[in-house]
Amino acid sequence: METTAQTTISRRDPAQVMRLSRLGSLHQCRLSFMRVLTRRMAEENWSFSRPKFDIDAKGVGVAVYTATGPARSYSLVAFAHDLPPEMRSDRVIATAWDATFTLFDGVPTDADIERLSKNVPYQEAGRVNEKSLSVSRANRSVRLWAHFVDALSQGQQPDPEQVDAVGYLMRTTAVYGSGKLGAADREAIADRPELSAPFQAEMLSVYLTRVFVRDLVEHMARAQGGENAVRLAPETALRLGIGNSTGLGMAPYIVNHPVLFNNWIMAREEAIARVRSVETATAEEAACFRRMLRRSELSAARWHSEHPVQIEKLASLHKDLEALAAWVAADDLLNDYPWDRLIRWSETALGLEGQELAASLILEPYAELVDGLSDCMADSNKEAFVIDGAMPVAQVRELIGDSFGWALELDWSARENCARAWYVSEEKLEPRMGERFDEPIANYEQPLAPARDAALAYAALAEWDGQEPVAAFLLRHPEHRHTVRRAQMSRVAPYGEIRSNTISDRVLPVDMLRAKLSFFGATHFDPRSDRWVRICMYAGAPYPEDLTTANADLWVYPEANQ
Amino acid sequence: MSYALNEVEATAKRAARGAGYDWGLAEEAAKATRWLCAQGLDGAAVLAGLLEAGYASERNAHVPQDLEGDWLAAAPLCPLATGAALSDCAARLQDTPRKMGPVTRPAMILPFAAMAARQLGACVTVEGEGFQAVTDGSGLHIEGTLPETSGALTIRAAGSLANANPSHTRAEPEEAAWAVLNRFAHKTYAPATEESRLLGAGAGLSDND
Repeated sequence: METTAQTTISRRDPAQVMRLSRLGSLHQCRLSFMRVLTRRMAEENWSFSRPKFDIDAKGVGVAVYTATGPARSYSLVAFAHDLPPEMRSDRVIATAWDATFTLFDGVPTDADIERLSKNVPYQEAGRVNEKSLSVSRANRSVRLWAHFVDALSQGQQPDPEQVDAVGYLMRTTAVYGSGKLGAADREAIADRPELSAPFQAEMLSVYLTRVFVRDLVEHMARAQGGENAVRLAPETALRLGIGNSTGLGMAPYIVNHPVLFNNWIMAREEAIARVRSVETATAEEAACFRRMLRRSELSAARWHSEHPVQIEKLASLHKDLEALAAWVAADDLLNDYPWDRLIRWSETALGLEGQELAASLILEPYAELVDGLSDCMADSNKEAFVIDGAMPVAQVRELIGDSFGWALELDWSARENCARAWYVSEEKLEPRMGERFDEPIANYEQPLAPARDAALAYAALAEWDGQEPVAAFLLRHPEHRHTVRRAQMSRVAPYGEIRSNTISDRVLPVDMLRAKLSFFGATHFDPRSDRWVRICMYAGAPYPEDLTTANADLWVYPEANQ
Repeated sequence: MSYALNEVEATAKRAARGAGYDWGLAEEAAKATRWLCAQGLDGAAVLAGLLEAGYASERNAHVPQDLEGDWLAAAPLCPLATGAALSDCAARLQDTPRKMGPVTRPAMILPFAAMAARQLGACVTVEGEGFQAVTDGSGLHIEGTLPETSGALTIRAAGSLANANPSHTRAEPEEAAWAVLNRFAHKTYAPATEESRLLGAGAGLSDND
């Protein structure tokens, strides 16, 4: 973590930040991975090309999009398919998709494309090599796709209301990286400056996918309408994002990578602390905040969900935005630690959605205080895995108490506190969550209940002399080894543990998904059940040919005329 | 076939768990197997051989009885549990060499010797009958051949590493060993039921609109 900025206000307490209800209310911010990528590509003046677009009138074929930075090129290889409607499913158990992709390290030769064409369309049933950095697939939004092709083919622009209602023409249903299906490991690319921040290869893949989808819908309209067809109006294309369906498979990620997740949260918390420590703001800084707040109101107005929990959260957010607008109207935001005053007020007056939106928004005027923190968000600390066996038992107990004090008194045998169990299904080898007392899954439980395991280890450690090295305890109790490791990791990762029960009868896995996706920079979270969510990525982002340093960052906030 | 090291790690973790090891040791088995593959050794084959020995079901028979003194046992020591203890007690290597044995699949001790070396900031040498291995934590050099089971090993904070194996970014495990790991990994998967198919991943509103 950088230490150059002076902070008089300290970071928020992990006990406040790491509750699942708050993590499930996080919003994108300057540190979001999509914005980190588009800022870099603009600053480094990346060039983009489409060396191949070989797709027939039925929409079947292959296209290649190449992005070139100062040192290297990356190419999205996109395979377009003619998918029978009955096979279209976002579920991980699907076996065919409207389009499939890989992000290729460099520029693929015809032989590479030939090899990829025999594997990428099959996704999990295929195999790639270390020249692939990600593998992904996408399905059309059936109603919006048909409407676009029909309208454009007849020389009309699509109906803006329908565009708003859906937000994207295609949604990805999985974006695999880091070694999956044979692709390159994260470690193989982590030292490249352009990919060192988390998930940059995946974010680049989705950015280029959005270009492909725009080109494909125009191509299909031409195929259908011939000379009558028109191109998509740039302002409509700009509003389109790429949708994404994310299911339970992603939820365990933030539990399984405590140091990495800590680094994301800690970078944002450090950014918030730095900005709260600003004693006086300039008029331009205050004006920037006001502009972004207004644009957030527009974004919130376009955020739809049919899920009861999210409907309630959105109602709360709209109310919070009104209260925030009123507070901001009554304050000049210039003096006496304006951002700290705002945050302290928000904690007394707003819901969690509004509080976290405010915390993200105050970062906007302060690129110089905030943006460098994106360099601290990767996990390069391999040694955090190594257990310090010389640590006295008493100190391990203390560490467990720090992160899980709230969990030690809970009755973990009560059904409501352990109602759920996480397991991996035989069928698709994907994490799922089930009812411990109703399904035969307890024997297959994954270690995704750190709080329960902490309480068990804490009790077992109490039987031991506090001065004994924990190595002696672990020799007799290997069943607590993963918990002792996590407890020791908390020394470098104070924000590494979710401080809520991940197996309770009330747990909402979508909160875990949102926490992760908010760091990607996703907006318009639309839970489709308690365990999968749709989001939108890159809506409003400039297309490669229009990307400049002037528009590379704030695109996530819609403008009134868009 | 060529595998990403992350695939090796993920498969090794599931396999060790499927063979009955606790999660913490399964995590250790995964990192250790990956480390061996990064050295150009077939870590998957080493782990597969170990898991087939079936030590997890009687774990207390295959671990050091006490952390003090030499770790000599009647039954062969499990290199995962013993290796983890070796790493946990890394600081003690500074003063006293550690004797242990017999050890099944002594190659699996090497990644833990490497963890100890990284903690000490010094090379660690593992010596057994017919072989000597030196690691500075990231690199490895072996002289001689590692047996499937060794008698006593001596592990000391000593040695120097001039010519480590070049590090590998991919693994090419022997197919039979890879199949063994997948067979053990399979034991961690809950059989699919129609209920889990519908509920477990959270089908809800339509996903085809």
